[in-house]
Amino acid sequence: MNCVLEGNAVKAFGKAIHSLSRIGDELCLDPMSKGLALRSVNSAHSAYACFLFSPMFFQKYNLGPEQGSETVQCKLLMKSILPLFRCLASIERNVERCQIQINTPNDRVKIQFFCRHGITKTHNLCFQVSEALQAVFASHLCPNVLKAPARLLGEMVMHFPVSQEEITLSITPLRVSLRNYFEGANDHMKTMYTEMSLHPDEFDYFQIGVESDITFCLKELRGLLSFAESHCLPVSVHFGAAGKPVCFSVEDMILEATVVLSTLIDSESRGSSQPGETLTVAPRTPTRCADVVPESPGEADWRKAAVPAGMELVASSQGSPITNSPALLLLLHHLSEPHYQERANSTPASSICSLLFRAMTPESGEGLRVLACCSDEEEAEEEDVMMMRRSPTL
Amino acid sequence: MKFRGKIIDVACLNHFTRVITTISKLTKMCVLRLTPQNLFFVLSGKVANGGVSMWCELSQENFFDEFQMEGVSPEDNEICLEVTPENLSRALKTVQNAKAVKVKLTKKHCPCLTIAAELPTLSSVSRVVTHDVPVEVIPRRLWHEFKEPSMPDFDVSIYLPPLKTMKNVIDRMKNLSNFLVVEANLNGEMNLKIDTDLVSVSTHFKDLGNPPWGDEASQQGGPSQSRDPDTMAQTRVDIRKLQQFLVGQQVNPSKAMCNIVHERVVHLILLHEDVSLQYFIPAVA
Repeated sequence: MNCVLEGNAVKAFGKAIHSLSRIGDELCLDPMSKGLALRSVNSAHSAYACFLFSPMFFQKYNLGPEQGSETVQCKLLMKSILPLFRCLASIERNVERCQIQINTPNDRVKIQFFCRHGITKTHNLCFQVSEALQAVFASHLCPNVLKAPARLLGEMVMHFPVSQEEITLSITPLRVSLRNYFEGANDHMKTMYTEMSLHPDEFDYFQIGVESDITFCLKELRGLLSFAESHCLPVSVHFGAAGKPVCFSVEDMILEATVVLSTLIDSESRGSSQPGETLTVAPRTPTRCADVVPESPGEADWRKAAVPAGMELVASSQGSPITNSPALLLLLHHLSEPHYQERANSTPASSICSLLFRAMTPESGEGLRVLACCSDEEEAEEEDVMMMRRSPTL
Repeated sequence: MKFRGKIIDVACLNHFTRVITTISKLTKMCVLRLTPQNLFFVLSGKVANGGVSMWCELSQENFFDEFQMEGVSPEDNEICLEVTPENLSRALKTVQNAKAVKVKLTKKHCPCLTIAAELPTLSSVSRVVTHDVPVEVIPRRLWHEFKEPSMPDFDVSIYLPPLKTMKNVIDRMKNLSNFLVVEANLNGEMNLKIDTDLVSVSTHFKDLGNPPWGDEASQQGGPSQSRDPDTMAQTRVDIRKLQQFLVGQQVNPSKAMCNIVHERVVHLILLHEDVSLQYFIPAVA
């Protein structure tokens, strides 16, 4: 792949990389015919972001001959690429053009900055060929939708300190509110609680299908909000009940950005449920991974929700509980085999936040794998292949 | 115990926020004393904070449009709370454009000072923001620790040079030494000196002026007429404490002065229109 960006586009590209750096430690460059996608996932697989730049964003955009049936997705370390775009102000001042080339034979991405005064800076970054990861999120199926200028969302989150990890967004027909969320009783007495609420009228678009409280990681979202504010783009929020992922997206003529975050399940309401009782039967559209996860029956009281004992917490997931991989595998099987749902509920998997990743639809013609499973295990691979074949076209 | 206050004026809110932000830069935790007329932010000198103590007094009617309180009892009509000023500062900073800000003592998961604000919006319904800042109620038997400090028997009292200049000088000196000597005399001269094995630096200020304390009967044996105006009174203090004091100052005070008790304590006093701040830095050996 070979593409050239100029002027302001370089700055926007850099800003996108800044936003992605809030999510994960690795950046995946995925050149496609519909544009160049930049993706990142956090290590707990509870947050995913994708910036898709259409060919019109570039001065020149060529996919190489190797981009035929086989695509080359390059996985780069965020700490290799972020420093190149670290200082956006100086990029704006000095860089006239930026060229990005992916050379498969020597596994290098060449990024060249053509700057003022005839200076050219060339960076060669090693990449790893990887399978593209993509969260498939059926936003059109989400019961709750909010759309607002980025500035409004910025004004909502500014009441919370930058260090605030997780927040809870609540929606009722009369108001939308945000409050901070603290897990566990540590320092419970010392923490400052903040809540802000506003009227649905303030949103450009407000649709409520189900009253819900969703808790997600604010830190991971801030990158997108900052990008949207700098481009004055409206942000759309699609979500459902607690436990199902929430999707924040912005788009304009030449780019689209999406952040999908998992949300916490109310672990309190789990206690007395019978196996299979509260499990939502996965409908014929298994594209919603979170469907496997039981819906919480009632309003969650987040302040009392504690991480269940024995739950594994991954530091980088900012406290969102995850499950261990065998259970994840189990869940993947369940997506296509409803009669296994009983088992799901009794495993620790029942407290999983949400599983984001599914196979890409066959429509794109690329045989992409589900990220989240232990792709080393052959058993899983076989299952994956089976599931992919059965996935309907979106 | 009850407390409710309301601030409507934007300038008052802004000023109040700046005072609290200054306090938050001086100390992590302090005591807030509420009386019908005043609010006091108090830090009592303990070993834990290096012996530094602070007393900040605000007259409530200069800030609040409504102020109602009921203390612990009719005889002790006061409320004493231990609070983290940074939380208050953070909460207030986010609501600077509010139509009205209410501060109340509430009981949520623990006793809290709740800051509730209504923010203006284009739509008919305002946005509501609530911050619950946890506080600890201080029992009456400990109140004696948080009394107003008495003016020390100082040897010299002098007006301070512009705080910004002082801060610049002290910032540089801090790189060279941990201790600083503050000395001044009744001739309006003040020196800031550091002395290490490698280097000595001193900065001299002249024509600062001395406050006319002599008129006030505030102490016996105060700046006596017989004291030689050129004799310096000096105190050696931890430079970081002095720097911390200067870093927090956001507004130029109407009056800034310093009392020095020779080899004992440096007493800094800042007076604004409606706020007074006193800061005591003890001498180090």
